[in-house]
Amino acid sequence: MSRKRRKQEDVTLNLAAMLDMAFQLLTFFILTFKPAPIEGQIDLRLPPPQPITNVNAKQQAGSNTNNTDPVQGVNSLIISVFPTPSGQIGSMAIGEGNVASLPQLETRLKEVLADPGSPFDQVVIQVGSGLHYENLMKVIDVCTHQKLSDGKPLNKLSFVELPTDGGGG
Amino acid sequence: MSHGGGEGAEPNLTPMLDMVFQLVTFFMLVINFKAASLDLTLKLPVVGSARPVDTKGQDELLILNIDLHGKLNVYGMPKEPAAYIAGEAQASLLAARKTKPTIKMGDDLPTTVVIRADKTTPFKLLNNVIKLCQDHGYRKFALKAMNKSD
Repeated sequence: MSRKRRKQEDVTLNLAAMLDMAFQLLTFFILTFKPAPIEGQIDLRLPPPQPITNVNAKQQAGSNTNNTDPVQGVNSLIISVFPTPSGQIGSMAIGEGNVASLPQLETRLKEVLADPGSPFDQVVIQVGSGLHYENLMKVIDVCTHQKLSDGKPLNKLSFVELPTDGGGG
Repeated sequence: MSHGGGEGAEPNLTPMLDMVFQLVTFFMLVINFKAASLDLTLKLPVVGSARPVDTKGQDELLILNIDLHGKLNVYGMPKEPAAYIAGEAQASLLAARKTKPTIKMGDDLPTTVVIRADKTTPFKLLNNVIKLCQDHGYRKFALKAMNKSD
């Protein structure tokens, strides 16, 4: 077998083939490039719905003859949200007191939770089954802005589905 | 100005190749395979205080795309919620046992459930999925929203 020897100076790489391949890779990446939208999130700790009364605390409160506080032993604040037939917020209530709008809900929640004597450490949101997720998030947003009487942020929520969609308050 | 001869002119491809390789490298670095798990057809609600959170890969995530009919969509495939969540809970439990061997079925799972639901999904359908997750021990939830409209 004979080999032809070439001078080192004559060797030139043919870059055209590599360039073709690189362009193909580039085309692939450009065509499949789809930047994911930047999404935010609200972090929650969602225990399963529990009785709104702390049984031990309620027993102690009940057996204390000097106790005149009707909500002692209750540690869940109840917010009810009643939807319209189109899934919007129809009416809302904190406990049994109606609130007309989200800003009013926020103001009222702030008053109730920031009170140093407030026994509440979690919020139970009773929601009509037809309420749209978008509107539920608005209520959750208001709740997660709140701070408890001990200064900790409120992030312990539970959801309870109301049996009917009937507007109430 | 000087003009080169037509026959002998060969373009120098090296700078072009360099540039193309740099572009290829850029696209390879920014490609996001996690985006495949997101159903981008869903219209998320807009909530001003929703902020992007970077867990730096420390938390395990279970991403649930829920459409307005309450159907679960995983990597583009519709899934039966009860069976899928039960299977994922089993997998989360096995993964959690590596760091906490005493964990058992029914205990709180360390995995965060990421809920990406369409903004018009009725609460009833959403709550069904949340309840299924809670029944299997999931406690940490992240509700996804956009913080500004597109």
